[in-house]
Amino acid sequence: MELQRLGFKLFVDDPAKVALENFVPIFHSWIQKQIIEEHLLIDVHNYGHVRQGPGVLLVAHQGNFSMDLGGDRLGLFYYRKRDIDGSSLERLTTILKTTLRACTLLEAAPELAGKLRFKTDEILIVANDRLHTPNESATYQAFKPLLSQLFAELFGEGTFTTEWREDDRERFAVTVSANQSVEVGQLIERLS
Amino acid sequence: MTSWKEKLSDKMDPEIGREADIYETQMELRKQGRLDEKIFAETRLRRGVYGQRYDNGQRHDGIRSQELEFPSDGVTKGPETVWDAPGMQRIKIPYGGVTPEQMEALADLAEEYSDGILHVTTRQDFQLHFVHIDDTPELMRRLAAVGITTREACGNSVRNVTACPLAGVCRDEVFDVTPYAKSCSQFLLGHPDVQDFGRKFKIAFSGCKEHPCGLITMHDMGGIAVKRIEDGQEKRGFELYVGGGLGAVPHQAKLFDPFLPEEDLLPTAQAMSRVFARLGEKTNRARARIKFLVAKLGVEEFRRLVLEERDKLKEDSRWKDYLEEAPLYQETPVKEAAPLNGQQRPEGFEEWYDTNVYRQRQPGYAAASVTLPLGDLSAWQMRELADITRQFAGENIRTTVEQNMMLRWVSEADLPDLYQELKRVGLSDPGAGSIVDVTACPGTDTCKLGISSSRGLANEIRKSLATKFVEIDEAVKGLRIKISGCFNSCGQHHIADIGFYGTSRTINSHKVPHFQVVLGGQWTENAAAYGLAMGSVPAKSIPKVLDRLTERFVQFRQNGESFQTFVSTVGKREMRSMFEDLMKVPSYEQAPSFYADWGDPREFSIGDMGTGECAGEVVSLIEFDMAAAERIVFEAQLKLEDEDYPGADKLGYEAMLEAAAALIKTEFLDVPNNPETIVTEFRRRFYDTKLFYDKYAGGKFANYLFRRYESPPTEHSRDTSHRLVEEAQLFIEAAHACRERIAEAMVPLQA
Repeated sequence: MELQRLGFKLFVDDPAKVALENFVPIFHSWIQKQIIEEHLLIDVHNYGHVRQGPGVLLVAHQGNFSMDLGGDRLGLFYYRKRDIDGSSLERLTTILKTTLRACTLLEAAPELAGKLRFKTDEILIVANDRLHTPNESATYQAFKPLLSQLFAELFGEGTFTTEWREDDRERFAVTVSANQSVEVGQLIERLS
Repeated sequence: MTSWKEKLSDKMDPEIGREADIYETQMELRKQGRLDEKIFAETRLRRGVYGQRYDNGQRHDGIRSQELEFPSDGVTKGPETVWDAPGMQRIKIPYGGVTPEQMEALADLAEEYSDGILHVTTRQDFQLHFVHIDDTPELMRRLAAVGITTREACGNSVRNVTACPLAGVCRDEVFDVTPYAKSCSQFLLGHPDVQDFGRKFKIAFSGCKEHPCGLITMHDMGGIAVKRIEDGQEKRGFELYVGGGLGAVPHQAKLFDPFLPEEDLLPTAQAMSRVFARLGEKTNRARARIKFLVAKLGVEEFRRLVLEERDKLKEDSRWKDYLEEAPLYQETPVKEAAPLNGQQRPEGFEEWYDTNVYRQRQPGYAAASVTLPLGDLSAWQMRELADITRQFAGENIRTTVEQNMMLRWVSEADLPDLYQELKRVGLSDPGAGSIVDVTACPGTDTCKLGISSSRGLANEIRKSLATKFVEIDEAVKGLRIKISGCFNSCGQHHIADIGFYGTSRTINSHKVPHFQVVLGGQWTENAAAYGLAMGSVPAKSIPKVLDRLTERFVQFRQNGESFQTFVSTVGKREMRSMFEDLMKVPSYEQAPSFYADWGDPREFSIGDMGTGECAGEVVSLIEFDMAAAERIVFEAQLKLEDEDYPGADKLGYEAMLEAAAALIKTEFLDVPNNPETIVTEFRRRFYDTKLFYDKYAGGKFANYLFRRYESPPTEHSRDTSHRLVEEAQLFIEAAHACRERIAEAMVPLQA
């Protein structure tokens, strides 16, 4: 199974505390500083007028970051657009690390001080490639060992569950639910 | 499966599949440096693969201009276009007709290759943004598998053939133009006679003359359905127009034939293409649209040449093959016709029904507009809308030139349920075709030519009006607002009641986003009249301009007159006086928000621009002279309004001379005030040196002055004077831009 165009989404703990447009200047400031390692940040777009869209989008060459409105739930969604090297597990880990770092940057943004916190007891993984990762049972079976390995490292053995929803029109996606929500920074440390 | 090519091989039309293969090979050749970048650029454009803002690898981040270091290793996909920079994919949807299966495919592509958004254009296309060129061949194959081609979606070819979205269900149409638009699109697609144009060629069809849906008079070729009795038999044909177009200087189409029999439609289009390819301008891009050829030859001579060409054409069975079926063309509803009678009406339904529902000529059926804010919908919404279409309308949905979608053949009894379903997916906004339903081109969001944020302004206006939609006076509700990010008119500002197009001004070395206010355009009768620019207003003051114009309209409107009549009655001077005070820009210190655009927190101007003593003096002088040029061009508009066409022409020319002299004075303070010297000095100092050249339009605007100087008109008509005044306005805008470029270039010298 060719695992390249993967993405992770972490949900905002209390969406009512933050206004979507607050992310526009923050993402612009990220471009000014080119703040994300190994990413060329290009532009920002506000799609807040569209239901279940990308919300506020930060376009980068390697992958896009968005304060996403998919599923009517606000969260930071990062998905990879260009290929990366390494084993499937290494790629997954790299993509997750990038997602978590973006979350910590947002949590630390002075404009959102005390208002934004990401939940870590629920993480959505999306495969943005219907050709190589069709939304079918075989993909889930092939994917499951990798997820178990990755999330055992992150949350500990036996502390999480994975759920796949069959829908051949939607992209392949798995929700990982953990027993507890810890700080995003802690998860980064566990992956280091 | 390792590729979509392999997976979809039995689902693609072999010819479209082969097209994608050829294109992929051309991409490889370009990457290897074996195909010239200009040739490759036209190659990809003819497949709908467009450039996008920042694809030259430069972006101003609000503080400085950043070099975007794409990993392209010097490979380009066109002049100054970096291979790895994201681009736009335009997808042609002939007459806007799309099926649920196609909608699902489009949704998948938006998610996997774009940003999850589908954008409907003002010509019934879809656009996907931020697409990597390497993904485009597979994207094309996936479209081909559902019967869509991107071939000739851009480039110098026949673009998407558009048609009224109500065709076939309209109460006023003469006949359904759908089969004609479809056949015309198929016949000309990839036709050898449409491969050698100097510029694009746009075709539209309308079922009636009175309503605006087809916008015939702003197209290169447009057909309005007409019938007549011949030998006791009813015969179908088209009132055919040619040479219309918006762009920087709009042209009204000329009548080519009051009744072109249906069997002559395709051969005439083919002959017209051959004449355009043979005689149209090829080197000067700015004058290469067919409107310039028609203006140069005169419509009579153009018609003679086309008919002569048509007589020489070899008979083609496709000209007539579809005609027998055309009158029988029928769409299949999914439900029985039933009246809206007694069903429970959900909250918000009445408001939506009033603006978004059109009762079809077929009793018991209705067409329902799905209002898309800024023409956008998410991949999820598209998929849901595909299901809703299947449930309520079968296969019958179309995109519209107002950037919406329209479900057709909905049983009236189903309307409350349809509304509920649309509401569930966030697509039940009322106000279709009203003042809230603002049209905007992509502008600075993604377009390389955008000056100001048309989408930012449109969103601001839309949000503000939506909150008070119910209270808005009925007279104002029906007005159309259309916004373009620059003078090129992709947002169709010329045909709006109230139009805006993006400009910029420099105030004490800071750039300020502005919009020209364009009033007096006419949307109805197939875009029967074009508006004129009234003055440039800072972007942040535009909502106030809108409030004042609409308040005055409500207060002083006489006997239910249209906005266009109101503008004409009140007069341009008085109209401008309504917002003249808003044209002033507060200082940067007083109101820094004026120096950023709508929806974009970056400082619009280049913050590090300096002003030396010398430059400061010259800038002051030039500002004064440029203001004079703007005043003169406004007076020219007043002359136009008074039907003093020679006077309008004279003042328009004077305005150009004034702006040219203003620039010359930055180098030659004592330039004599006579046209000959001004034109000579301007040519020598600003044209020959290319200082006046627009990055994309080249020397186009300078040529407006040269042409008027070298060939003064011998006769004056409304058309010629209107055009000259438009050209003068654009010349002044170009002078502003030139002055800004010069000021920027001076900064490093002083540092």
